[in-house]
Amino acid sequence: MLADRAQRSRPAVNWGRFLRSFGTLIGFLLIVVFFWSQRPATFMSVRNLLNITQQVSILGIVAFTMTVVMVVGDFDLSVGTMASLSGIIVGLMLQNDHALGTAILVALLAGAAGGILNGVLIAYVGILPFVATLATLTVFSGAASSLSGGRTIFGQVFPDGLVDFANGGIPLLTLNEQVVRIPHLTLIALIVLAVVWFVLEQTVFGRRLYAIGGNMEASRLAGVRVRFLRLLTFVITGLGASLAGVVLTSQLATANPTLGDGLMLNAIAAVFLGMTMSQEGEPRVLGTLVGVLLIGVLANGFTQVGVDTYVQRILTGVIIIASVTLSSISRRRS
Amino acid sequence: MQSENLLHIQRASKTYSGVPALLDVDLELRAGEVHALMGENGAGKSTLIKILAGVTPPDSAEIHVRGERVHIASPQAAFDHGLRFIHQELHAVPQLSAAENIFLGHDYPTALGVKVRWRRLYDMARETLGRLGITHIDPRTTMAHLSPGDQMLVNIAHAFVGDDFTRAGERALIYVMDEPTAALTGAESAQLFDVIGRLRARGSAVLYVSHRMDEIFQIADRVTVLRDGQLAGTRDRASVTPAEIILLMTGRELTQLFPPRMGQIGAEVVLDVQGVTTAAVNGISFTVKAGEIVGVTGLAGSGMGALLRALIGADRRAAGRVMLDGVPLKRGSPAHAWDRQVAYVPEERRSQGLVLSHSVSNNITLPQLKRLSRAGALLAHGRERATTRELSESVRLKARGPRQIVRDLSGGNQQKVVFARALARPPKLLLLGEPTRGVDIGAKLDIYRLIRQISAQGTAIVLASTDLPELIGMTDRILILRAGRLADVVPSAGETPERLLSRCYGDAAYAG
Ligand SMILES: Nc1ncnc2c1ncn2[C@@H]1O[C@H](COP(=O)(O)OP(=O)(O)OP(=O)(O)O)[C@@H](O)[C@H]1O
Ligand SMILES: [Mg+2]
Repeated sequence: MLADRAQRSRPAVNWGRFLRSFGTLIGFLLIVVFFWSQRPATFMSVRNLLNITQQVSILGIVAFTMTVVMVVGDFDLSVGTMASLSGIIVGLMLQNDHALGTAILVALLAGAAGGILNGVLIAYVGILPFVATLATLTVFSGAASSLSGGRTIFGQVFPDGLVDFANGGIPLLTLNEQVVRIPHLTLIALIVLAVVWFVLEQTVFGRRLYAIGGNMEASRLAGVRVRFLRLLTFVITGLGASLAGVVLTSQLATANPTLGDGLMLNAIAAVFLGMTMSQEGEPRVLGTLVGVLLIGVLANGFTQVGVDTYVQRILTGVIIIASVTLSSISRRRS
Repeated sequence: MQSENLLHIQRASKTYSGVPALLDVDLELRAGEVHALMGENGAGKSTLIKILAGVTPPDSAEIHVRGERVHIASPQAAFDHGLRFIHQELHAVPQLSAAENIFLGHDYPTALGVKVRWRRLYDMARETLGRLGITHIDPRTTMAHLSPGDQMLVNIAHAFVGDDFTRAGERALIYVMDEPTAALTGAESAQLFDVIGRLRARGSAVLYVSHRMDEIFQIADRVTVLRDGQLAGTRDRASVTPAEIILLMTGRELTQLFPPRMGQIGAEVVLDVQGVTTAAVNGISFTVKAGEIVGVTGLAGSGMGALLRALIGADRRAAGRVMLDGVPLKRGSPAHAWDRQVAYVPEERRSQGLVLSHSVSNNITLPQLKRLSRAGALLAHGRERATTRELSESVRLKARGPRQIVRDLSGGNQQKVVFARALARPPKLLLLGEPTRGVDIGAKLDIYRLIRQISAQGTAIVLASTDLPELIGMTDRILILRAGRLADVVPSAGETPERLLSRCYGDAAYAG
């Protein structure tokens, strides 16, 4: 009789939980299958899939590090303009005959410094993340424009080695007498993914971040250094943003004061998509990975099917809303 | 006297992921009775109440109100059938005012159905509070700025909206109260009992949950005991003893609730507090020696919780000094205090103690994560699980395992998690804020034994509590706070709860 009761109550519970955890993933697979059926020859080819990973790698770097601030319950709107600023820094330093290594280092330091600025404003001064990073978004954008004089830097400034590296890859296999390569950018994004995953899931630091995200006051009273850790999360996103800026500039051999601006919205969307997949609704970096891939597959697939870019944006937005809605409905039910 | 049956629930059952929380429970409430519902933590009391309230859908239950079969599918349905609830956990909106929280879910008074008449709302809130004898809460105060006790009073007032029980001739409602006094001071509890007395006289039925045996014997007419989700028995209060109830609840006999001290008080001063002043306390000085247990008590707003917060460094100290083993504790840094082996149990477990969405294990290990890690940085899951197991056992935690989410534990078991956590590393100084709030009587004894053991190892302990028998039974000295100041210090031996309460009020008869 007891077992009987247990069974009656079980399916209802698990169905909601199932939808909540795997809804986005299933949606992602359906979208893949859809494009596959539309473009059987090209979409599912190894080359195209690797191509997609390269296309999303820069978004991935930003979104993976964005996950870290969002674990704490904050977010960072300034990542896009920070990426632009870092690209400009690299371009300008190369233009002035500095070594490539120095240029990259200075760009990354700028990212860290921007992160410290955000972190101090938010964790120590107590300004809301939305307001603080909206302000620094403008500051970084202004800095990029004024440093570059509003001009685009391109051409000879960027050494061939750098550009080739950013567009190249490691040979994987030969298919139909053509070499298939794993793009270097994909590898860089994977390294960032691995580092963020390790930090969030396997370290004391990561566990404390999740605790702060769950209950900031209780964490503080239990001895977690809340302010300092919040500051560090912004340094991590700042670094991620500037790395993305450096990579983007290298890939395009161009530095432009607004080059990276569009990254911010997609990065936040990717983290949100990922959050729909986790049990308690917290950001998990593997969830973010699915979010990033989903956005990348949509862009790639729509282009192949021939949907124009403006309509693409609308459809992408609709799919994100649908996914987040579905998961919040199933969450409310249980 | 044969009185009318107001409420009858039969064959109530509820299962959570295959584990029964409630199994075929029957309960009837008669008009004009106060019916106590007792049982260990996790016995299923709140589950039964949530079924009556339309909050939790049961697997099965047959409910009759005034002899009529009803289905309670929503809180609104419960309300319409004349049931009123004070739930164990606050369901308040912290950003709203006390008045808005009192009238949450009711219609606000409006002009032309659009503009809220705020002044009228505040007046109505003041009137509702006043009926319960509560005059010290300003209904305009934001909920988050009220003390946990005052928040509970607002929660209680919410249940009394629109029922003027002081007038005759109104429909007698059914009141269900899930540990309403857990966060109240003695004086406030007394006021609530006065209200309960008037409800009973009017012919209402009151279902009352509490772990405080003295309250049960003060106000209840009958007692129903649940054990592991099943009915253990219903007794008339007049023909039962506390020992019998405990036996029904736990299956074991408890001889003595407060175990005697195990070691001697040492000579060295561990905690030296000099002139500590924050927004809520003023110029407090005292010392605690190794192995000594010092109690702190007072009325609502006296600053007893705030004193602990000042010691752990949660509130900024404007003046004063806190020395641990002769070395000052930094201001404003709980992390520093934990590093110096100070452990802290905050008085409000849900907002200040727990990360509700995390597992039992994550909550228990949080303050000591670094020490349990590898190389100070990498999580060591095995070690965490072992520590969790050991501490859970020592407090008799009723949980499915270290990975159960804390939100799904019963209230008393959540409290045990907060207490267990303070013992993960033997502390030099243990700050306890209401450590047994909502904990059942058997588990209380376990906690008291643990406190004695730690104390015997030379830990200095500060125990802030509104449970006066607990203070008298466990401490060596009691500090009495009034309006943020240290008003009185008395030795615990020979003190009675009544005397202590009047000292809290500052009655001249006992002072000095
Ligand atoms: N949402 C839930 N999910 C899973 N288990 C639950 C949930 N709510 C309650 N339980 C389990 O049901 C059992 C009964 O819990 P309940 O809250 O009714 O206990 P209680 O008698 O009120 O205890 P306490 O005195 O501690 O308040 C507990 O074992 C608890 O862990
Ligand atoms: Mg309960």
